[in-house]
Amino acid sequence: MWNQYSIGMAVVLASGVIAFAALAFERDDLHRLLLIDLVEIPSLGVVALLGTDLAEALVLPGLVVGIAELLALSHIYLLKEDLRDRPEGYLHIEVVEIGHAPVIIAVLLVVYGLILSGFTGGGIAGLGIVFFFMAKGHHENFSLLEAAAGISWGIWVCSFFVFMFLPQYWMLAVLGAGAGILLKVTAKMSLVGTMWGKPHE
Amino acid sequence: MNSIGGAPLFFLEFGDIVLYFTPYTVALFLLALVFTVLAIVSRAENQVEIVFGTDAYYGKEISVDEMRFRRFMSIACGLACMGAMVTGDLFDFTLFVSLVGICNVGIVAAVKTKHVQNAAFQYGIVALTATVPLFGGAAITAATTGTLSMIALGTALAGPVPFIAQAALVLGVMGEGMAPFYAAKAEMFRAPGAPYVIMCSFSSLLIFLRVVEVVLTI
Repeated sequence: MWNQYSIGMAVVLASGVIAFAALAFERDDLHRLLLIDLVEIPSLGVVALLGTDLAEALVLPGLVVGIAELLALSHIYLLKEDLRDRPEGYLHIEVVEIGHAPVIIAVLLVVYGLILSGFTGGGIAGLGIVFFFMAKGHHENFSLLEAAAGISWGIWVCSFFVFMFLPQYWMLAVLGAGAGILLKVTAKMSLVGTMWGKPHE
Repeated sequence: MNSIGGAPLFFLEFGDIVLYFTPYTVALFLLALVFTVLAIVSRAENQVEIVFGTDAYYGKEISVDEMRFRRFMSIACGLACMGAMVTGDLFDFTLFVSLVGICNVGIVAAVKTKHVQNAAFQYGIVALTATVPLFGGAAITAATTGTLSMIALGTALAGPVPFIAQAALVLGVMGEGMAPFYAAKAEMFRAPGAPYVIMCSFSSLLIFLRVVEVVLTI
């Protein structure tokens, strides 16, 4: 009766009840927006409890839907509270000598990511590139990265069409999808946090 | 497979995701298609409001940007609706339904009026919490029966779907399809909304009709 799935389900349901109760008691809109993120997690938990590779494939769209709705809601919140960009106050810290972090750390991360390949590898390689940009100060050409992300996404989608319609070329599709997701996650990770704020040319 | 919506007319296979067209889903699909076409070709309504107690009146102008955004959202909503009408995969269905929810939030939220945006925000929170039972229902179905295909679930082979999964699915669709209540509250009378706000009500109606068929089939 009480196998692993039931125990996991009980935990997820309990956390869901706690999150919903918090949402019901909270009156402040901003705090409700933050609590919504908490409510999102049990829904991913229920899917993850499947524990098969299907669960992995289903968590991803669930996560994307959640993030999309969260982004839309935060934008509506900004509009309805009439919040605008405030002039940024830069910290003026006197530094005797500005030294760049060694590039070798970024290179190591990227190389390790390439060896891991796939989704995890993309994450680690992206982390390396984020580290590189943070160390150098970000004045790089982001439109190039955006283009790379778009093209690799295209490769990924095309590979899936090959899986569907030309299954005999599955090897080609596996290679395409693997390379595509590696590039895509790498580029996306390195864009996180740098594309917000000022419009760039 | 003997679906509640009549015998399937034909199947369209995308790998393991199979779209199936029964007379019922074809009718819903065509309705969604017609309304999407209407949303593409029609123009935004310009409202005239009478100043209370006088003979004066003023017209409301809608900026091109606002109209363009809402039209885009209506078309996206129509496409998501068409997908939800004919898909034969339970998780696919939940994703299309949540896409309808997001688009409805967008349609309502594009109006630059304080009380409308308040309503849109509250509706967005409801829609987001509704993804919990929505995905939960699909996941419990997959965990107990081992499949997400409505065609397989429709046959006796794949054990019975637990009642709790069906209930969660209906609850989730209700949460995502709540738009008309908020739209009626905020929009119908106060803000220039037609024809795009009709898409909110219409898509909700369609996903309600479809989830009844889904729950009766599986």
